[in-house]
Amino acid sequence: MKDSLTTVVRSLIFVAFALILCALVFQFAGYNALTMLWAVADGAFLRSGAIEQSLRWALPLFITAVGVGISFRAGFFNIGAQGQFYVGAICAAFAAEAFKGGPAFLVIPALLISGMLGGALWALWPGLLRLRSGTDEVITTLMGNFMAGLLLVYVTSGPLKDPSGSGQQASSRPLDAAYRISDSLGLSPTIIAIAAAVGILMWLLVNRTAFGVLASLAGRNGTMVEWQGARLWKLGLSSFLISGALAGLAGTIEFMGPNGRIASGFLPAHGFTAILIALVANLSVLGTAAAAVFFGGLASAALYLPIMAGLPAAAIDIINAAIALFITARSKLVDRVLRFGGRPS
Amino acid sequence: MSNPPKPALECRDVTVKFGDVTALSDVAVSFAPGQIHAVVGQNGAGKTTFARVAAGLVQPTAGAVDVMGEEIRTGHVSQSRAAGVELVHQSFALPPSFTVAETMEFGATGKGGIYSRKSLAEKWQSHLAGLDVQVDLNRRIRDLPIETQQGIEIARALVMDARVLILDEPTAVLSPSSIDMLFARVRRLKERGVTVILILHKIREVLGIADTVTVLRGGRKVEGPLPIAEVSAERLANLIVGDAIAKTLDRHERDALVGTKSPVGEGAGHLENAKGPSVLSMKAVSTRPDSEGTALDSVDLDIRPGEIVGIAGVEGNGQKTLVRAISALADLASGSIRLAGNDVTGEPLAARRAIGLRIIPFERNVEGLSLTSSLWQNWSARELLQGRLLRLIRPSAVREACDRSLKDWSVHYHNSAQKAGSLSGGNAQKVILAREVDREARLIIAAQPTRGLDIGATAFVWQALRQARDRGAAILLISSDLDELFDISDRVVVMLSGQVNGEFRAPFDIASVGAAMTDAAARTSA
Ligand SMILES: Nc1ncnc2c1ncn2[C@@H]1O[C@H](COP(=O)(O)OP(=O)(O)OP(=O)(O)O)[C@@H](O)[C@H]1O
Ligand SMILES: [Mg+2]
Repeated sequence: MKDSLTTVVRSLIFVAFALILCALVFQFAGYNALTMLWAVADGAFLRSGAIEQSLRWALPLFITAVGVGISFRAGFFNIGAQGQFYVGAICAAFAAEAFKGGPAFLVIPALLISGMLGGALWALWPGLLRLRSGTDEVITTLMGNFMAGLLLVYVTSGPLKDPSGSGQQASSRPLDAAYRISDSLGLSPTIIAIAAAVGILMWLLVNRTAFGVLASLAGRNGTMVEWQGARLWKLGLSSFLISGALAGLAGTIEFMGPNGRIASGFLPAHGFTAILIALVANLSVLGTAAAAVFFGGLASAALYLPIMAGLPAAAIDIINAAIALFITARSKLVDRVLRFGGRPS
Repeated sequence: MSNPPKPALECRDVTVKFGDVTALSDVAVSFAPGQIHAVVGQNGAGKTTFARVAAGLVQPTAGAVDVMGEEIRTGHVSQSRAAGVELVHQSFALPPSFTVAETMEFGATGKGGIYSRKSLAEKWQSHLAGLDVQVDLNRRIRDLPIETQQGIEIARALVMDARVLILDEPTAVLSPSSIDMLFARVRRLKERGVTVILILHKIREVLGIADTVTVLRGGRKVEGPLPIAEVSAERLANLIVGDAIAKTLDRHERDALVGTKSPVGEGAGHLENAKGPSVLSMKAVSTRPDSEGTALDSVDLDIRPGEIVGIAGVEGNGQKTLVRAISALADLASGSIRLAGNDVTGEPLAARRAIGLRIIPFERNVEGLSLTSSLWQNWSARELLQGRLLRLIRPSAVREACDRSLKDWSVHYHNSAQKAGSLSGGNAQKVILAREVDREARLIIAAQPTRGLDIGATAFVWQALRQARDRGAAILLISSDLDELFDISDRVVVMLSGQVNGEFRAPFDIASVGAAMTDAAARTSA
């Protein structure tokens, strides 16, 4: 318990550092740093309706990030969440065409499952390549992101093309209103329920099953777990598939919820933000929930920055990048300052 | 009359705390220059911590360190290095994919740069030869035998102009003949005027090499540096374990621990207990050659319940492959393996473990433990793997069970959420024992189970193995320490070049066992 608390405090300090750094950068670039920070806080959490908007972004991010955490824990650096997110959405969109006209109570679960299968499929081949022949999963999953992006361009301007589309951005035919799980604001009881279910199940998986303990051991020292008689590929591949399925589920939620269709190149930073969230949370499920709300807030604030502080929306990307920088550069200094104890490893 | 020379290394009231754990308290000790000093003590006594303080790797909570009479800034490797203090770690830290020459260059200068392999090799050749390290400088570290790696570590330290060289348990990883070679190297260093501090466990080794000995217990200095002529083996043993515990050891254990008994092992001689069908039965087992060790060449081996079979052999003659073959981690080319009556030849390790196979592997920190995971996770891995992966567990219950088990094995630890890597070497080994030696064990493979353990813990492990044997388990003991083998084995099997080269029964004759270890012609049976 004390451990996870320390982790959270530690992460928050990094985030604070990052924000200060950003404020300095913007100040020097000629903007008013205080106005900017205020606009971020206001846009994310303070303004009326801001919390709902933040959650709208936070929940899909949370789902993907939990999955990322599962594969990272097992020692696999699956950075293909973005691709798995896309392929999940694409599969759900195809399924929606196929099941058109069916009763909603059957079609909706069927679409969600198709999305998860799609995401899992997009994690399956890098997983197999890694576990069967040792191909570096960082490279294959990164490649998978590009492939999925191109696939998305193809299906939205080919098989699923919306003929009435404006032509600016290729997109699919809209999903029948009967199958939508939220309006375009993107927060609904269904989505909240799905996210809660994912959170609870994954928390149980990580903290309360033999699988969770063994996968984490395997992630830290595969050889030791092998000498215990575990089949490493079983632990590894399941972790891979779970992370893919969750990213696919998030893609499906975006498709069936706020977006109602898939468009080429939609939400291009989703997977990477999710990776960042998982890292900030140090891969813990509860931490991921907290970090997701924070980054969801940033995402929603991004829309307000131009209005409130005269900043480009891309300012949020800079903030995200700064946080990534501070989180990944594990600083000994902070540990020393805070005397968190333990041997510096 | 001249002043006594300044001590080479002096610790003044050094205290080190890790959180709530006090690893060293008020240790004051000073080592005279140009001598060989031994530092001994039980597992967790603080020996490694002392070495790390001197090398600047640990910042003491209080106290000061002087080198050659000059106080150094503690907690900075660069300061200790500049003063001439070098440490060779308990587990080596050479980069496995580097060549020898690259390792030397990088280890010595700490810098990168543009070199050619050839120029580097020429540069370091003479240096290594001076230490009698025979090695091709273009070979990679991971392909070298352990004693050569150690030689390179020492050579690396010497390039730095070490005036004080600290070796943390250098003998633990070595075979007896390599130990002799190491000691010869150490003596040569002494002639060159280097002060050598050796952290050792075996009293016999201390008496054989050191000029003085210093004893730590529970983070305090008990005695020392005492001139070696003034201590007997008995007295040293008492100092290490403390009088209270010393009284509880029986004569047999004491002799074995002190290691000064005659070369003819009495053996455990419990063969009459060994009855019933074999627990392990290997028939003409050969393995496919792989990069991890000498392949097995039609090995026959039977172990019955209630029997401890020792494997003797010069390191690298197939002992590792034997363990991997029984553990389903090496590919068989031919032959069959039966475990407790079941043919397990094609079965995976999980199935074999379910029948009662237990393994204390060679590489404690790699194969035995995940150092960055918590103790309870490490401890519970075996049980968690029996049964469905998705079944629910209660971590608090697992941790309680873990606490109980670790207490039974008198592991010194703080709490079970602690990382395994924060335990002292010997305590880490006990965690593995606690996991692997349970009541359901039918065959226990113990590979170097007492490596790095203090004499008390060694006695403890021997007792545990004997108890398991008396419960009817079969035990396969692999050790490079012949005294250990002779002392607790009921039968000793010698391996040479992947083959079984002789089998001996108590009383063991060291000469004929030794002959079988090195000479294929000497096939003996008693
Ligand atoms: N980083 C750390 N965090 C917490 N406790 C530590 C740490 N390092 C060492 N200790 C504790 O300090 C004590 C002394 O450890 P040390 O490694 O110096 O023992 P040692 O004498 O070298 O033992 P061994 O013979 O087993 O190698 C032990 O109780 C150990 O658990
Ligand atoms: Mg030690």
